[in-house]
Amino acid sequence: MAKLIQVTNLKKIFENGSETVHAFGPLSVDINIGEFVTILGPSGCGKSTLMLIIAGLLESTSGKVEFENKLVEGPKTDIGIMFQNNTLVPWRTVKGNIELQLELRKLSLEDYEDKVNDILKSVNLEDFAHRYPNELSGGMQQRAAFCQAMIHEPKIILLDEPLGKLDAMTREKIRADFQKLWMIKKPTVIFVTHSIEEAVQLSSRIILITPRPGKIDREMKIDLPYPRDLKLKRSAKFMEYVNSIEEVFHEYGVI
Amino acid sequence: MKKFIKWILSGWMVILFFIGFFLFWEYSIIFFDVPKYILPPPSQIFVKGSADLDKLIYYTGITALETVLGFTIAIVLGLGFGIAISFSSILRRTLYPFFVSIEMTPKIAFAPLFISWFGFGLLPKVIIVVLVCFFPIVLNAILAFNSLSNELTLFYQSTGASRIKTFFKIRLPAALPQCFVGFKYAGINATVGATIAEFIGSDKGLGFYISIVTGNMRPDLAFAGIFFLTCLGLSVFAFVTIMEKILMPWHISMKRLNKQ
Repeated sequence: MAKLIQVTNLKKIFENGSETVHAFGPLSVDINIGEFVTILGPSGCGKSTLMLIIAGLLESTSGKVEFENKLVEGPKTDIGIMFQNNTLVPWRTVKGNIELQLELRKLSLEDYEDKVNDILKSVNLEDFAHRYPNELSGGMQQRAAFCQAMIHEPKIILLDEPLGKLDAMTREKIRADFQKLWMIKKPTVIFVTHSIEEAVQLSSRIILITPRPGKIDREMKIDLPYPRDLKLKRSAKFMEYVNSIEEVFHEYGVI
Repeated sequence: MKKFIKWILSGWMVILFFIGFFLFWEYSIIFFDVPKYILPPPSQIFVKGSADLDKLIYYTGITALETVLGFTIAIVLGLGFGIAISFSSILRRTLYPFFVSIEMTPKIAFAPLFISWFGFGLLPKVIIVVLVCFFPIVLNAILAFNSLSNELTLFYQSTGASRIKTFFKIRLPAALPQCFVGFKYAGINATVGATIAEFIGSDKGLGFYISIVTGNMRPDLAFAGIFFLTCLGLSVFAFVTIMEKILMPWHISMKRLNKQ
């Protein structure tokens, strides 16, 4: 597999006056094209920070990030990004919010007209295209935010706990939908979460991060066929992955 | 028409309250035998006020001119400075603390000075209205333009959009609701500024009218003046509210209003 991102000896220390917080590192990791990589770790282990540094949206203290062998020095723009608190703006409709991504990137709305409709359909939001975010449920908002992050077909999608605020049932449903969407084009995804089950269900590889200062405890390839549906989730192999990860975090006293 | 009837129906309680309030006023003056030169009944205010209507309307126009001019200039200056301070770290460390400390002084205390500097005309009144309105507008604008969510900031950075584009597509609309908090507060203060400025030194306007008729022991006419001032204040506030509705039909407070 071709290498897309190379992270070498990356370290982040936050300095706030006399107070310093060692967020994570030094750590090194490679991400290949088409991989669904999950950064899994307890709260405060610096996994979101790591994701932002990879995207060039935050500066590291030391070490380097390379995208296709080019050093990342400023914000990367060929990415799609999505957070727990979504980036839908209240003054635009669902469709308008998706188009905001295109407008900011100077992409023609006409060229993308069909794509916008298709992506809305793929997350079952076609009837809500002209609704405002505050008229939607939390789950629908995250679906819309997902469309916003994906519409320009970025090389890499960064997801920072996108389902963190949703209830368990909605989470389950949207997870399955995300997976379906991901399987169509298989873009490279970096997914940040602290849900072990979510990580095992979605990822092709999981990077386990220790409590702060975050370091890579181990990497784990998830060798299960896609789509990983409810049936697969009840299988012994799935449970085995979940259990072995729980074991790791149990040793750290996290769970 | 249907809407109007609906509005009357939904507002019947407050209308009834107003009617009750004025009836109570009217009859308690008779009941307690309050001299009319102390507190006149609403009926007398209406009758005497109507007789002086020409003057009242003319003076309302004068005060309205001062108020609207001052308020408009304050919005332009307040937004301008607010945006400049939000985007410049040097201004944020110099002008901003200066503005915050001036905000603590009652601006109206400057009124006599401006009258003595600029005379009895329109200019000192407009300056005082600007002074009264400027600070709530500028301070709310600074707050507004500095409170963009972290996520939205990261989002627009990831698109590589220019500063001007992000300003008009994200920063400005995101800042509008908080800006309007300032506009509303300033709108309420605008007529206060104009009135007090007229009290201190002028030869026309509602503030002048009220101070003269009060000196002539005519509280009925003073109340008529106050009534027109109230209408002026309400109009300014209504204008700001309508603008808010036009500019941000999406805002959550609007949605709630529409549902009721």
